[in-house]
Amino acid sequence: MFRISVTVCGRGIFKRLASSFSGENALPSNLRIPSNLVDRARAKRPPPPADSSLPVLRRCDAAVPLHLSPVQTWVETLERRDSKQLGLVDLHPDVFAVPTRIDILHEVELWQRNFKRISRAHTKVRSEVSGGGKKPWRQKGSGKARHGSIRSPIWRGGGVSHGPRGPTSFYYMLPMKVRVQGLKIALSSKLAQDYLHVVDTLNIPTPDPQYLMDLIRYRHWGESVLIVDAGEELPENILQATESLKTVNVIPAIGLNVHSMLKHEVLVLTLEAVKFLEKKLLWHDERFTPLYPFKLPYTDLP
Amino acid sequence: MSFTKKPGGKALDILQNLPRITLANLRPEPGTKKAEKKRGRGQYGGNRSGRGHKGERQRGNRPRLGFEGGQTPFYLAIPKYGYNEGHSRRAQYQPLTLNRLQYLIDLGRIDPTQPIDLTQLVNGRGVTIQPQKRDYGVQLVGEGDGIFAAKVNIEVQMASEEAIAAIERNGGIVTTGFYDPRSLAVLCKPVPFFISGQPIPKRMLPGEDMVPYYTDAANRGYLADPEKIKKARIALAQKYGYILPDISKDELFHMLSMRKDPRQIFFGLSPGWVVNMAEKKILKPTDDKLLQYYNS
Repeated sequence: MFRISVTVCGRGIFKRLASSFSGENALPSNLRIPSNLVDRARAKRPPPPADSSLPVLRRCDAAVPLHLSPVQTWVETLERRDSKQLGLVDLHPDVFAVPTRIDILHEVELWQRNFKRISRAHTKVRSEVSGGGKKPWRQKGSGKARHGSIRSPIWRGGGVSHGPRGPTSFYYMLPMKVRVQGLKIALSSKLAQDYLHVVDTLNIPTPDPQYLMDLIRYRHWGESVLIVDAGEELPENILQATESLKTVNVIPAIGLNVHSMLKHEVLVLTLEAVKFLEKKLLWHDERFTPLYPFKLPYTDLP
Repeated sequence: MSFTKKPGGKALDILQNLPRITLANLRPEPGTKKAEKKRGRGQYGGNRSGRGHKGERQRGNRPRLGFEGGQTPFYLAIPKYGYNEGHSRRAQYQPLTLNRLQYLIDLGRIDPTQPIDLTQLVNGRGVTIQPQKRDYGVQLVGEGDGIFAAKVNIEVQMASEEAIAAIERNGGIVTTGFYDPRSLAVLCKPVPFFISGQPIPKRMLPGEDMVPYYTDAANRGYLADPEKIKKARIALAQKYGYILPDISKDELFHMLSMRKDPRQIFFGLSPGWVVNMAEKKILKPTDDKLLQYYNS
């Protein structure tokens, strides 16, 4: 007997899922992926057990709230194709285990697409189309319909009444904290669905792209990989290796964004990148409201 | 708490069994996006396109707003009176209740061991002042005088009698000082001002209408006679029925007696000085005419 408890906050998709659940805990038909697209060898690995013998290579820098505990995941290495896990890493729950809000991800994704958009479509209005100042024929007696100008919108070749007018900007800014929350939700969902891997450094033995592809194929990571390092200076080998690859990309941690995280299947973070992201994303939980832009010096902000 | 909640809760557990969140899976919360009304399209939006049937309504020839068919309209029938005359030029003072002040001190956002200034209040995000919108500062309001229990040296722009009584009852000092709009902007946001590289301006004296307010000892004005202020403190204590504590024997007496010069904006900085934040230096004027101007 399998009883499923529906939480009060499980609105929307989760409620509909729970109601369509039968006794065997099966997915509804529209969410089942066809078998030829599923990588059978990529079994879901359970999270590290509490009594694991591997050493914890990094604890959380910031204080974890008392009612939560850090989430853990393995640390791997890119040195050899078939190396074992080096250890464990503690991840702050307020960054890597926040409740999932697909609507916030949707908002942030739409913002990323639209805020840079400048639509340069421009049509001419009847006054801008060349010609059309003179009345084509007299008002009465010619037997034709009455017209005032050959460029009115009714005419072929005439102006457009309600068309796009000039470069239009679609710029708008979502509140800073919404964008930060979007990043946290994306990181948490990657971790929860087993698409997040932590790596100690990005040093690989060869600049050969094939090495990376073999590694990814061997470890059954996925089709596309986004590799994130903390600083601007990335090792030469990995830069050369990923330059020619379309589905494997390296970015610095300041370039991390929701669109890239959702477009790539797998996210690979280095330990420094984890530290940088935790520091930057947790700062927003405790800061005061800005009096002037944050770029100017503050003495009292935490 | 003795038990630890699982971070993320059941949502992350359910997420493990669901397909990967991708760009194709995102959707807004159902009910948040309402479809736009498209006029002139389709069975319901077409035909008359929401304009009604014939007449001025459909033909777009309705008279101007407020027209009542020829009857003298409401906005002309009512006689004029200057209720709101000059409302955008009136001085505004953001209220600060004693409740709020006590809350800020308790949470540690305002330090009672230093003189409390408008800069400290704004830094602790206690009040929001908009100098550009005719705000002339902050006024101390007596709500919460029953529970107020902090000894502070506070400088505001206006203060009610009950508020003054509540602060002096706890052994503190209230002063009311005037800041002209430019000085107020400098006081509220000092860092952008210092970065701009201008010398600190001297505070202007109040206008004709506010001079009586700031020279009155009952309001603890900064231009009032100190002797009269002492007498006013005793009178207020008698009126409200509390014993006026002797501040001169207090350990923080030096801090409590710190007052600003009428031309000074910041404690410790004189008008005319230029603060260089990048190199942490202060530049003072040496020219005679400048010194004469800034010291007048």
